[in-house]
Amino acid sequence: MIGFVAFSIRRAWQGFWRNALMSLAATATMVLMLVLLAGFWIIQTGLLSALDFTEQKVEVVANIDLDASPSDIAALEATIRAMPEVAGVTFISKDEALARFQASMKAQGREDLTKYLDTNPLTASEEVKLKDPGFSKTVADALRNQPAVRNVLDTKDTAQNVKTVTDILRTAGTVILVVIGVIVLFIIVNTIRLAVFARAEEIEIMRLVGASDAFIRWPFVFEGAMVGLFGAAITLTGLYLLSEPIASFMVDFFRVLPLSFGSLANQLILLVTAAGLGLGILGSWVSVRTYLIR
Amino acid sequence: MTITSTPTAAASRSVRERLLRRGREGADADRAVLVLHDVTKTYPNGKTALRDVDLVIPEGDFVFLVGPSGAGKSTLIKLLIRDELASLGQVVLDGQDLARLPRRSVPKVRRKIGIVFQDFKLLPTKNVWENVAFALEVTGTPRRKIRPAVDRVLALVGLTAQREQIPSQLSGGEQQRTAIARALVHDPRLIIADEPTGNLDPLISWEIIQLLLRINELGVTVMMATHDADVVTALRKRVVALEEGRVIRDEVGGAYHRAD
Repeated sequence: MIGFVAFSIRRAWQGFWRNALMSLAATATMVLMLVLLAGFWIIQTGLLSALDFTEQKVEVVANIDLDASPSDIAALEATIRAMPEVAGVTFISKDEALARFQASMKAQGREDLTKYLDTNPLTASEEVKLKDPGFSKTVADALRNQPAVRNVLDTKDTAQNVKTVTDILRTAGTVILVVIGVIVLFIIVNTIRLAVFARAEEIEIMRLVGASDAFIRWPFVFEGAMVGLFGAAITLTGLYLLSEPIASFMVDFFRVLPLSFGSLANQLILLVTAAGLGLGILGSWVSVRTYLIR
Repeated sequence: MTITSTPTAAASRSVRERLLRRGREGADADRAVLVLHDVTKTYPNGKTALRDVDLVIPEGDFVFLVGPSGAGKSTLIKLLIRDELASLGQVVLDGQDLARLPRRSVPKVRRKIGIVFQDFKLLPTKNVWENVAFALEVTGTPRRKIRPAVDRVLALVGLTAQREQIPSQLSGGEQQRTAIARALVHDPRLIIADEPTGNLDPLISWEIIQLLLRINELGVTVMMATHDADVVTALRKRVVALEEGRVIRDEVGGAYHRAD
């Protein structure tokens, strides 16, 4: 068994370098395809993060009765927290609401009207973040029935619109990624098929002298794995060298924080390596099958 | 080993000893290496390549397979190595019905047959020794057994001196002898030579024929497909003639053409 594996790996190594031009062509194709795959995956990830970010903006705001006591407010907050649809809740006091209003007026370059007021006319509020924008109606309705709630800002329509758009974009992104995956699969399988075809005579001799299928197949499978690993290594090196521009592009374009790039990089390494290895092995497996015992 | 014996003689003797041992073990078994019984082969495209072929080749026989191109010789060889299965009838090699052979046993049966082709089918990047060793490597033979086996067959075909050369450095006859060594290295029951002299000039052809005859004398059954009328007629061995997929003649001591 160990002898067999050693034999297969040795033959794979020899085979790779003996047909160096063909192997390098296959590796180059692999690199191009992996770059394509990785590129679209990065865009898809950025898109999803951007969509999540947008969806987080959908929240339900409950304004609180002016005469509500601190204990009433605490009870309301506990009730809201207990709701399964709710991701988080932030209490905004009257003073904070006023400060925000003033800041937003200033940001828009308009006159600060509040200086003409004796008292703060704004209400305190609870800003409720949702686990999913689709829950906005449920949560809004539930809040309306709470005793301490004066009114609920109805963002139902906005929430629905955001939900529709994000769902379409998510589906489209996944479809495009799958289509690209299939195209990449076909191109790589065909390239490896060409490389195997160049060695048809060698396979023919192996068959005629009575080599078993395993002895014919596994050297090629290992060779395919080598093409995949080389391709993945080159792709990842390239992406690493370009990681700065990619990160700044993602921040500019999708508003994804660079912080998430660390975990993104790990996922990318995993994706590219697994795709390279998987495609190389699958390509050889399928290509060499034509030559095995019928 | 005595001092006077040459490497070739020693190699020949070791092959003969092994054959004698095998002969004793299988003394009670069917002595035929190959039996074809009413074999018909029709390809999926409807073309019938062989019709009702009956053929028995006893152990130690030397058979010429003659006939025009397209007579069914290639199909017959494909059936023997179980590249194709007979549509009707039985192909029995060394007591095993090839149609009933499980897929995984096919390689083992192929090792009982050594095949030699007109175009040699040597690997251009490997030298003589490696080309012969390749047949053992790819069948999972342990390395320590490969060396003596390869050295032995190279001595038998007389290529010990050329062992380090690659095929492009060899003459046609030497390339064909390399192919014969490779066919022999599995210690086969049957050597099938498909037009082995087709690419060689007459003098070299005779060398190859002599080598095949010597191998046959050592007890290996040889079946040789050929168009070479001079060789067939001169040797007066058994001749099986195929035409349009049928055996039209099967006679011992025959000539290439029917002796009308």
